[in-house]
Amino acid sequence: MIKIENVHKAYGAADSRNEVLKGISLDIEEGDFVVILGTSGSGKSTLLNVISGLESADKGKVCYDTKDLSVMNEDDLTKFRKEYIGYIFQQYFLLPNLSVDKNVKMGADLAGNKNYREIIKAIGLDGKEKKYPHELSGGEQQRVSVARALAKKPKVLYLDEPTGALDEETGRLVLDYICKLKRDLGFTMVMVTHNQNIADMANTVISMNSGKIVKTWHNERPKTAYEIAW
Amino acid sequence: MIVSFKDIFKMTGILIVSFCAVFVCALFLNFYLDVLGIEDMITTETGKIFYEAQCNTAKMVSALSGGCLLLTTVVLLCFYVGHYIDTHKKQLGILKALGYSRIAIAKDFSVFGFVVLAGTGLGYFCAHLLMPYFYKVQNKEKYLPQFEVAYHPGLCMALVVFPAVFFALLAVGYSFHRLKLPALSLIREKTVQRVVKAKKESDLPFLTELKKGNVRQRKSLVFFITFAVFCFSSMMQMSGSMDELGSRMMGIMTMSIGVVLACVTLFIATTSVMKANEKTITMMRVFGYDAKDCTKAVLGGYRPWAYLGFALGSVYQYVLLKFAVRVIFADMEGIPDYQFDFPAMCITLIVFVLLYEAVQFVYTRNMAKVSVKEIMLE
Ligand SMILES: Nc1ncnc2c1ncn2[C@@H]1O[C@H](COP(=O)(O)OP(=O)(O)OP(=O)(O)O)[C@@H](O)[C@H]1O
Ligand SMILES: [Mg+2]
Repeated sequence: MIKIENVHKAYGAADSRNEVLKGISLDIEEGDFVVILGTSGSGKSTLLNVISGLESADKGKVCYDTKDLSVMNEDDLTKFRKEYIGYIFQQYFLLPNLSVDKNVKMGADLAGNKNYREIIKAIGLDGKEKKYPHELSGGEQQRVSVARALAKKPKVLYLDEPTGALDEETGRLVLDYICKLKRDLGFTMVMVTHNQNIADMANTVISMNSGKIVKTWHNERPKTAYEIAW
Repeated sequence: MIVSFKDIFKMTGILIVSFCAVFVCALFLNFYLDVLGIEDMITTETGKIFYEAQCNTAKMVSALSGGCLLLTTVVLLCFYVGHYIDTHKKQLGILKALGYSRIAIAKDFSVFGFVVLAGTGLGYFCAHLLMPYFYKVQNKEKYLPQFEVAYHPGLCMALVVFPAVFFALLAVGYSFHRLKLPALSLIREKTVQRVVKAKKESDLPFLTELKKGNVRQRKSLVFFITFAVFCFSSMMQMSGSMDELGSRMMGIMTMSIGVVLACVTLFIATTSVMKANEKTITMMRVFGYDAKDCTKAVLGGYRPWAYLGFALGSVYQYVLLKFAVRVIFADMEGIPDYQFDFPAMCITLIVFVLLYEAVQFVYTRNMAKVSVKEIMLE
């Protein structure tokens, strides 16, 4: 479904040029659960941005089915994201002026999803709908960002450290719920994480180091959120 | 120095507005003072009436446009100082924590007075350049005896120096007031602006909620935009009637001031709304809302207020002109009772709609160009 071929990405001008992605190739099947591991600064977030069409690659190709992202303009990309992509950011990026309910609604409205409140409940934010982001703890904000992306019913969900601010219990709860929705809706998932244990839940695990994929492996029998170690 | 000259460059809005204010006021008040001096030399009956009318219009025009512009400058200045403090809270808090007193920090804000000084000085200078021509036009029927442009130092003080000092003090006073928070809360405050919550939860579509949230968040801008359109509407419509009542020159002048005012305020207001919503817009774009949806949600909430401003402006100028004709021009012959000028309103409305939608269009276009990552990194 998603095909990435020899993607390069660098930041900065000539002398301070910083090559972040150095020729990444990857195939992701529909319904796959891919986990990307790697040290801090190895280019995981950048890779996620490039595959999801938030940033363009300097070189190489990113294709969804028959769509080639590298030839799309900003308007086409926006339309593409509306149709395909859900994104959970490392830094949450909630809308500060709107309540939790409205923040999730931002995703829900794009998919005409009327049952988005169920998602808020399921990830343990029941009773917090009327709160504003600055009144929430880091973990609660992170869950709002998860709910917002899920409410959009994406075809592909990108998660950048979705459990980074969560304790073990809520972390498992959120992962379990995401996987349940994944089974129900059948979306594809690409997750960046520092937690090696979460890799046991994936079909495919990719290990990155300074802009390159150093290792790829598949799990025969992926574990559930309650089976993995934490 | 905390407030640098670079910050001052961002205040072109104040410069333009104070320029306009002083330009018009200097022109008419100088004329008024010079006319006063020749009162004894007027012998004819028509001359007397004409003299009266000239004095009164000079007073009215300078009071009207001067007043409008003065108010705008005050609002703009408070807006700038407030914005500056909001965006520099951390540094200011650290200075306070280091032991700088409130007044020591606040007094640096007096540099804002220089901007006003530049505007007023330039306005006064340009007014003097135009004066010989202006006098000729005002007296083209030769009802009044020949008189020359004189220089009035008092007027110069009142229009150039006094406003600068006044605004310097205003800036210091306002920043002094805004700096009353303890140093630590200035430093700690993470969000640049505080969040104004909805009074009660509603269940509208997201875009509508966002629109309402934005207006709720920045109420001062509602006033700002309504006021800008109010000025524009009243001045444009009045300029048409000025043609008949006063001179063509006055008409053109009122019109240009209206347009300049409207453009400056609209531009500043829109930029600040967009700037404040940069993150929101980016997130919307990431999720797949298109540029049009974003502008609609971010700017659309102000549209009703803009139209309200337009309606108020129309009513205001009608009442004002009706009053002027009844009182000021009462003795002048050949001036008909003032009727509401419907075509003038229609033209003004069309110009306004075009201008307003053009601004929205330009912002939508520019937003489409900004890449998502660019804003995310800021
Ligand atoms: N817009 C940018 N401009 C310049 N350099 C950038 C930019 N974005 C990322 N980088 C650099 O690219 C490198 C990889 O960044 P990236 O955010 O992809 O790392 P990461 O693997 O997600 O790290 P972490 O686990 O800490 O989130 C870093 O060295 C970073 O400094
Ligand atoms: Mg990262």
